[in-house]
Amino acid sequence: MVIQYKCPNCGADMSFDSESGHLSCPSCGRQDEIETFPETNILRKFDPGEAKEYHCENCGAVILTEAETTATHCSFCGAPVLIADRLSGDLAPAKVIPFTISKEEAVAAFQKWTKNGRLTPRGFTSGDRIKKMTGMYVPFWLYDIDGTADVAALATRVRSYTRGDTIYTETDFYDVRRQMDLSYLKVPADASEKMDDELMDKLEPYNYEELKDFRMPYLAGYLAEKYDYDDEALFSRIESKIVPYIDSYISSTVSGYSTVSYTNKQIQTNKKNVYYTLFPVWMVYYDFENKEHTFAMNGQTGKVVGKPPISPFKVAAWFTGIAASTFAVMKVISFAVGGVLW
Amino acid sequence: MVRDIQVKWLLMISILLVFSGLGGFTVSAAVDQRVYDNADLLSESEIAELEAVAAEHSRKHGTDFLFWTTADEQSLYIQDDMGDFYDTWAEENNQENAVLLSMNIATRDVYLAGFGTAERTLDNQRVDLVLDRIIPEMQRGDYAGAFHETVTTSSRYMEFRPGVNPENIFFKTWFQVAIALLLGAGIVGFMLYNSGGRVTTTPTTYFDDDHTKVTSKLDQFRNKTISRRKVPKKSGGGGGFGGGGSTGGGRSFSGGGRKF
Repeated sequence: MVIQYKCPNCGADMSFDSESGHLSCPSCGRQDEIETFPETNILRKFDPGEAKEYHCENCGAVILTEAETTATHCSFCGAPVLIADRLSGDLAPAKVIPFTISKEEAVAAFQKWTKNGRLTPRGFTSGDRIKKMTGMYVPFWLYDIDGTADVAALATRVRSYTRGDTIYTETDFYDVRRQMDLSYLKVPADASEKMDDELMDKLEPYNYEELKDFRMPYLAGYLAEKYDYDDEALFSRIESKIVPYIDSYISSTVSGYSTVSYTNKQIQTNKKNVYYTLFPVWMVYYDFENKEHTFAMNGQTGKVVGKPPISPFKVAAWFTGIAASTFAVMKVISFAVGGVLW
Repeated sequence: MVRDIQVKWLLMISILLVFSGLGGFTVSAAVDQRVYDNADLLSESEIAELEAVAAEHSRKHGTDFLFWTTADEQSLYIQDDMGDFYDTWAEENNQENAVLLSMNIATRDVYLAGFGTAERTLDNQRVDLVLDRIIPEMQRGDYAGAFHETVTTSSRYMEFRPGVNPENIFFKTWFQVAIALLLGAGIVGFMLYNSGGRVTTTPTTYFDDDHTKVTSKLDQFRNKTISRRKVPKKSGGGGGFGGGGSTGGGRSFSGGGRKF
């Protein structure tokens, strides 16, 4: 099934507008609330040979997609289309964070980011060689985690004092035990095989106040994919992600000691809820010196991640500059304090 | 060789004469003998060399670097003998600023003192530092080397503002270079590491305040150990003594002495 949103005024294909949060018509400018969009203007078309081929309702061309694609453009006439059977049943997302950064804002934000690159070559900082920008909803699983931890530790309190010409060091040993309930909400892990995990982790955090119940029109005009990994498959990644968080919470509950060494640490975590969620990401493909560099931008906060090219000259210049000025400052201080330069 | 020394002597004396002609302010330059080797520990050439070095540094600081050796077995306190020597010397030369290294080869005592302005510029702490460096040479019997080192090291220390420790590691150029290089490498490394974007999630990002809590807590005292150790003493080269004082003639000084 293919879905397209037709403008009630002029019949053109509407797409989601990140600024207003409405469906908007590119030809007459009409804006419609997503919740109240008239059902009659949602064009649904069943293909007989479904799951193999989808056809654009406007021009009849075959929509070329990969198996994971859920939202795209007709490659022939450019109309935004959604592939509904990849967004329903088990594949229906529960939540979505809509784009709040438009393409123009994304380009500007990216150029600003390249300008701040202190170690990137000069040609790169101009940020004017963006080859392609793609707004994409990336599938994530959000996990509500609850669990328990039971830890035992041997802790010491050390104090030392001097009586006469003897230094006394007193060490008090304590058995410490803590049992605790743990809860973490909406910890994300990206469920797309294509996306680099490290890159996606660095895009966090998203602002969950704008987390919305999923509706298809949010996807109109963007690319979207369905998940490759289900919530079971990704749970181990979530566990390894929250273990450091749990460790830091545990140590925050054991305070006031000089040393703490854990003798036993039992942590159990279970997933309470999972939400299949789509997060907005701008993918930036950038040409520099005959190489394509890929960057990702958080479509909600504008944070950019990705490996930029590095200029050895700038690295050397920064290193020399910092080292030389530190040396000069230390010389000035030693002159001010000691009255001697060398 | 002998001729060379004579030429040097002539040159020095003429320089001294020129300086003494300039007036009473650069009085230190008026002094023509700084090494009083009564115990005959140094050779002629060593004395000449030491005189030259002492004269050069004496001009630099307006403070005379003096050496006095004796072989008096009856001496009880080297400070007192040193004080008597200095009182006489100061009156004869009409000079109050001096660094004096005294040494009694019979009792194997050495004492370094700072008079006049040198009482501040070469205080007790700095005297100790100088002694730390010369005592090993004294013990080897290299008296010329130890005396030479006394002049150069004291002179170096006296360039520092009074009160600061001249051996403080922050004054060492190699240390300053090391810090500068480490800081440069650290900051640039941090910039490189973060050039691809930083992780900005923290342990509290997904933390659920309402449902995370400690359900049971135990802090049970188990046992106690006490260890004792002596307050470490500063170890000198065979016991230190002194710490300044006053001469019989009422001249106060900073100083310190050791056995070697």
